Amino acid sequence: MLKQMKVWLVLTVVLSLLAVAASCSKAPTNETTETNTSTAGETYQSKGDEGTVSGVIAFTGAAPAPKKIDASADAVCGQRNPNLSTEDTVVADGKLANVFVYVKDGTTADGKKITAINFPVPTDAAALDQNGCQYKPHVMGLMANQKIRITNSDPTQHNVHPTPKVNPEWNQTQANGAPPIEKTFSRAEVLIPVKCNQHPWMKAYVGVLKHPMFAVSGADGTFTIAKVPPGKYTIAAWHEKGGAAGTEKTMEVTVPANGAGKADFSFGDAATTSTTPGLKMMPAIEFPMLGRH
Amino acid sequence: MNKGVFRFALLVAGATFLLIIAGALVTSHDAGLATADWPLTDGHFLPKVTIFGITTSGVNMVGNLFWEHGHRMIATTVGFLTILLVIFLFVREKRRWVRRLGVAALIGVVLQGLLGGLTVKLMLPLAVSSAHATLAQLFFCTTVALAVFTSRSWQQQRSTIEESPGISLRYLCATAAALILVQLVVGATLRHSATWDKPLPTPLLLTHIAGAIIVTVVLGSAAVKVLRRHKGERFLTRPATVALSLLVLQLMLGVGAYLVRSASPNDPQPLKPMVAITVAHVACGALVFATTIVLTLRCFKVLRPRESKEFVEALA
Repeated sequence: MLKQMKVWLVLTVVLSLLAVAASCSKAPTNETTETNTSTAGETYQSKGDEGTVSGVIAFTGAAPAPKKIDASADAVCGQRNPNLSTEDTVVADGKLANVFVYVKDGTTADGKKITAINFPVPTDAAALDQNGCQYKPHVMGLMANQKIRITNSDPTQHNVHPTPKVNPEWNQTQANGAPPIEKTFSRAEVLIPVKCNQHPWMKAYVGVLKHPMFAVSGADGTFTIAKVPPGKYTIAAWHEKGGAAGTEKTMEVTVPANGAGKADFSFGDAATTSTTPGLKMMPAIEFPMLGRH
Repeated sequence: MNKGVFRFALLVAGATFLLIIAGALVTSHDAGLATADWPLTDGHFLPKVTIFGITTSGVNMVGNLFWEHGHRMIATTVGFLTILLVIFLFVREKRRWVRRLGVAALIGVVLQGLLGGLTVKLMLPLAVSSAHATLAQLFFCTTVALAVFTSRSWQQQRSTIEESPGISLRYLCATAAALILVQLVVGATLRHSATWDKPLPTPLLLTHIAGAIIVTVVLGSAAVKVLRRHKGERFLTRPATVALSLLVLQLMLGVGAYLVRSASPNDPQPLKPMVAITVAHVACGALVFATTIVLTLRCFKVLRPRESKEFVEALA
């Protein structure tokens, strides 16, 4: 009797583990992705009086030199990109690139909350490429439910692994020459880190918003957010340095009808020093996260 | 007694130790999700090789796939070796309980494989990854115990020694082994809580440091007591000496692992010194646990409880 019970116990444990593994074997596909972005609000109707928000991202203090990446683990990476180096703080002439700037909150001139308005989702897919064992672009934005099209231009294999907090996590291998991966993120999230577990230095950040009012600062630190309805907004600028969640700075900007709002931000010394955790520790434990995907 | 069984058990234990190192390398390189596929890696088991200009289809062992697939290949080998060991035990081993321990090891290695697959499919949830790391240590200790039980030194006739007055050495060693297991669980959870580029969770880190102090006190005093009370008994003093030496090494490796990690939080990838010292810390932790198990088993083999005064008087 006892023997039979033991056999059944072992069988139950093994079968349960197999069942859980099987149920989790499918990565969330576009078809199964939830569409939790609220559609309850009013649909945006353009009056043709939209303005812009533009500015420059300055970097104060001494910019850290890019670090050379040891790509010896995959010879192809070294051949494709002999000067492979870090992209977390790209500074030229005191101007900072790769800062994600977006309309965080605010009210339009006719008193509507910007976050409650539904903007049409572009039909074009946002592009993310793996080239020279780096993600191109390093920072990008797209709208919730807009397709992201990920390509592999390298003659080596990558795996694309976004690690969102509110969207479903997925991890997909993309061999060289494999067709593009097309996915969507259904919930707004600023920003989703994307990594490649085969090449641990590869990182990208994808900002997902309910509206199309975002931009990424270029090599000269400038950015322009187009088609912003007149109103008063909180503009946020996010940079990846500054701890696990990066650093975000905000300012209030008024956009006149057919006019331009100005939003200059400054990152640098303070943000950079706070990103050198050294012995700094996280205050909280993240305990068992079964089913977080 | 069969020398062949002992040697094979030793081989399985050695291969398992290599497997623990390979697993630690996967964690340190953040290579656990280098492929989303399991049990195969991108549809293959054998690595891609080029012979006489002909390249076979298989796993392209570049980047972190080298660590992840290498770990899977060693794990598969350990699985097969365990099956062979169990067959060997059933053919050559007369003691039923040893054969049963072999079956337990087989169940352990199967569960360990499933946990490994589960953690890949669930994208490394902390609970599953930590359970995988903990079961690895338990499986390793089972194989070490099998090697101990099938060894000549265990099976030869030995006179028992009465425990000295004071704390029972047998229970002190058993307590040390239990505490090391708890410490291994905390260590595994700490390691799987944050990749090299993220700060370690303070409460877990402090718990691990406190655990190290407690283990040092308990295991240290157990080993010192063994060395003092049973000077000439090499059956006991040898594992006690090894455990003590490994404990000191492990403490130094622990401090080293923390310092190298703290020194390079902004590096784009895990640096080699950090990987080497952290993996050595994991491997040494496994050896401390295994040696403590050996010491505990041997204490239970040769030490007998102290007879009470009343009992001796009654006998007289």
